[in-house]
Amino acid sequence: MPTTPQSLIRNFSIIAHIDHGKSTLADRILEITGAVTDREARAQFMDKMDIERERGITIKAQNARLKFTAKDGLTYQLNLIDTPGHVDFNYEVSRSLSACEGAVLVVDSTQGVEAQTLANVYLALEQGLEILPVLNKVDLPSSDVEGTREQIEQVIGLDCSEAIGCSGKTGVGVPEILEEIVKKIPPPKGNPDGLLRALIFDSWYDSYRGAIVMVRVMDGTLKRGDKIRFLATMTDYEVTELGSFQPFAVALDEIGPGEVGFLAGNIRSVHDTKVGDTVTHAAKPTSDPLPGFKDVKPMVFSGVFPTDSAQYPDLRDALEKLHMNDAAFSFEPDSSEALGFGYRCGFLGLLHMEIIQERLEREFNLDLIITAPSVVYKVTKKSGEEIRVENPAKLPEPQFIETIEEPIVKMAIHVPSDHVGAVLALCQEKRGVQISMQYASTERVIITYELPFNEVLFDFHDKLKSASRGYASMDYELIGYRVGDLVKVDMLVNGDPLDALSIIVHREKAHTRGRSLAEKLKEFVPRQQYEVAIQAAIGSKIISRETVRAMRKDVTAKCYGGDISRKRKLLEKQKEGKKRMKQVGSVEIPQAAFLAILKVD
Amino acid sequence: MTAAPPGFHASNEPRPASVYVHFPYCLTKCPYCDFVSYKTPREAIDHVGYADAVIAELRARASYAEAAWSAAGSRRRIESVFFGGGTPSLWEPKELGRVLAAVREHFTCAEGDALEVTVECNPTSLDERRARDLDAQGVNRLSVGTQSLRQEQLQYLGRLHDPAGAQEAVRGALASGIGRVSTDLIFGLPGQSPEDARSQAGELADAGLRHLSCYQLTIEPGTQFGELSRRGRLPLADDGLVAEGFLAIDEELTSRGFTHYEISNYAMPGEESRHNLAYWRGLEYVGVGCGAYGYVQTARVGAAADGGIGVRYRNAIDPKAYVAAAAGVRDDALGEGDGLSISSEPLDGETLLRERIMLGLRLANGVDLGACGRDLGVDPWTPERVRTIEQLSSKGRLARVGDTLRIPRPAWLWADDTAARLF
Repeated sequence: MPTTPQSLIRNFSIIAHIDHGKSTLADRILEITGAVTDREARAQFMDKMDIERERGITIKAQNARLKFTAKDGLTYQLNLIDTPGHVDFNYEVSRSLSACEGAVLVVDSTQGVEAQTLANVYLALEQGLEILPVLNKVDLPSSDVEGTREQIEQVIGLDCSEAIGCSGKTGVGVPEILEEIVKKIPPPKGNPDGLLRALIFDSWYDSYRGAIVMVRVMDGTLKRGDKIRFLATMTDYEVTELGSFQPFAVALDEIGPGEVGFLAGNIRSVHDTKVGDTVTHAAKPTSDPLPGFKDVKPMVFSGVFPTDSAQYPDLRDALEKLHMNDAAFSFEPDSSEALGFGYRCGFLGLLHMEIIQERLEREFNLDLIITAPSVVYKVTKKSGEEIRVENPAKLPEPQFIETIEEPIVKMAIHVPSDHVGAVLALCQEKRGVQISMQYASTERVIITYELPFNEVLFDFHDKLKSASRGYASMDYELIGYRVGDLVKVDMLVNGDPLDALSIIVHREKAHTRGRSLAEKLKEFVPRQQYEVAIQAAIGSKIISRETVRAMRKDVTAKCYGGDISRKRKLLEKQKEGKKRMKQVGSVEIPQAAFLAILKVD
Repeated sequence: MTAAPPGFHASNEPRPASVYVHFPYCLTKCPYCDFVSYKTPREAIDHVGYADAVIAELRARASYAEAAWSAAGSRRRIESVFFGGGTPSLWEPKELGRVLAAVREHFTCAEGDALEVTVECNPTSLDERRARDLDAQGVNRLSVGTQSLRQEQLQYLGRLHDPAGAQEAVRGALASGIGRVSTDLIFGLPGQSPEDARSQAGELADAGLRHLSCYQLTIEPGTQFGELSRRGRLPLADDGLVAEGFLAIDEELTSRGFTHYEISNYAMPGEESRHNLAYWRGLEYVGVGCGAYGYVQTARVGAAADGGIGVRYRNAIDPKAYVAAAAGVRDDALGEGDGLSISSEPLDGETLLRERIMLGLRLANGVDLGACGRDLGVDPWTPERVRTIEQLSSKGRLARVGDTLRIPRPAWLWADDTAARLF
């Protein structure tokens, strides 16, 4: 199959706020172009994983090459490049967008502009994409096409005079969108004779063929059998397989300039195929890598421990499998006095963390204890040495610390105007610095704050939702590090630290957090033979104390013929409970205590 | 103390066993009591009919048990009979005597005073004459439910008698010459000082009693107290004071020459309750009567395919249903839809071993774990248990001499926790 001339290629993404109907619209497009028959059109074809389908979000991008004959009589190759729909995957989104010349911006005409809409638009504008706004869900009675049109113009400054009203559900307006794509999105302008430059915008692991790499060829042509090089990792491979998803995989001999497709080449791991890297020919490499490459690093860390230590090897196998398929996810062995052996895992963000945890529990049937997530701190020691701290338990003692820097995010919050007060109060409470407040319409406000990332991790989203009765939406990006007055709070039980419960917090919040942890822990520590002191401490200074009174007796008064079975069963249960106890110093703490505490808020 | 129990293994020497007879009627229902008992006026009790039912059950149980024991490869000799309740001192002594005669008729029993026959008595249904009548029927031990010698405590406990009535019942029992007399004392009541618990124990010893059962008040679910406590309406004692009361009674009675031979029981030498010792040593008891529990060995150790070597059963708890079922009971169909037992639990060696630990650790002399293991055909010395024994010993919670484990007296307050760890 020959490659398509660039003038007949259109590469585009669909961008939207979560729930605004991106996947449904994508499905409809596949159907109308005849790529998917009814029988194959499972709802939301583009979202493959169960978790994606359940949560209605796209985690790994899916892609499709479609044929579309426009009204001008020409048949075009449309490459739909799906983007992950969450802030944790911002970088991946930006790379997917840079593989396109245009983007369809889906705005729910019943909801209007939301936080993510804006973030995605900015990303697309940064990549210089042509943006086609469309107003979705016009079939719903609450749809307000004109209002939404105005809002987009006012807030984003996009001309919406030609924005199409559509419904992913009924298919209304979808053919018109395809015509617009052909008309308005510019064709690729790669150099067919230049040295090969192809952008990696996605990759995943296949157990038979190794890593599969999604590429957009910018210049030159990629052929089966080519010896290729990934410039960032400086690794060479031979292309054993080329193809495109239409949306089912179809083998190709070559991928020309402007085209999108996948390659395989016995690549051992996705860690060699970094998103944003440039693929070139090993013999004639380009000296000009594509711009924008970043080596993404985990932003959020938490300890993952098996509830039953016998599951440790299973946990390791599961993490290895996930790691093979997810370059952004890291793990290394960790151990805790209280929780035993486990792993310290790194994630791009909270959602990424939740997804991995859920997959571990659901796909691998593991029963896990997960410690409170922590951001990465930059610590400068008195000696001048700079270290990264991913685990609060590993923070040096206060006397060795010169400064602690914490990551700061820029947070955009879209909220109905009657909840502004509550949201501002929340942001202040979370140590935020206000950047701007903008009225998107008379009813909706966009509030922008700079916030410490660790405050966002703790319970920001839940509190935002309750402060706005569920109406606020948020989006954030990391903007850098800032020195903070931060301290480590340790939890002690009769003087022995519970390393898994250590947290790093702002000094002003240390007392409150310490006290609530101590109170919570007290609820779950059973009375022992002696008094148990539960303390929160900063270094050697105790900031809060709770006491579990000693139990003075544990003995049955009467045990005769009729009591024996019942009593035995009670003690058997007591014994079972003891098995699940973790011994910390001389105190036995039920695992339920850790579970409950790690679920605080 | 008596010698260690003979093993379960086949032997020509018969192994000791007991019979328990339950009498389910009381003049009133005490708010803390979780035994099967029904508040019934004296005149409404069918003394003869209930005795007939128990005798019918005895005949069937004996036939069934003898067959099981023969299958298990050894014989039994009944060394104690215990009439519990309820208030069996309400039962016409003549009817109680008929039941006792049926026990002697259907089982191999020890002769004369070697057969301990105990009747539980309430001060309201016991006087010197009733004690003599029971003595005449072959009863040789009375257990009197004094519970307290303080008026306000008796009221809290919902008892019908007053302190004078309790003293009088005890005096009458001792004066009747019936042999051995024991009484129950409940301590750990709200507002009670450890000193008060100590002095009541002392007063009972002064009255001439040579056996005392001193129970800390236990709130059981399903009782009136349990219900009140669930709703937070029951004043309860501080458990530190209860623990001190336990230690104070121990001090008082041991200084008077009593042996604190079980967590809640004190006896002058030779006065121990043989019947109760049999429970704590894991021996078998044939239970008869409404609501009674029984436990009998059913197979030779190691021979049963499913590992079950014993069964614990429970009888119907409604007196009418019990009496009706007993009338038609067949000795070849016990346990299977007989209408008499309402539940039965097969017990394997490991389960029985846990029971032996739980029960044996209640005794001052402890439990010979090695002997129990041989008896039950299981290895008691698992690595985990051995490790736990060492840990507990290092904390003073357990003492091991040879194969025998026992809990040192001060650590008795933690006996349940200790037993659970050794399970």
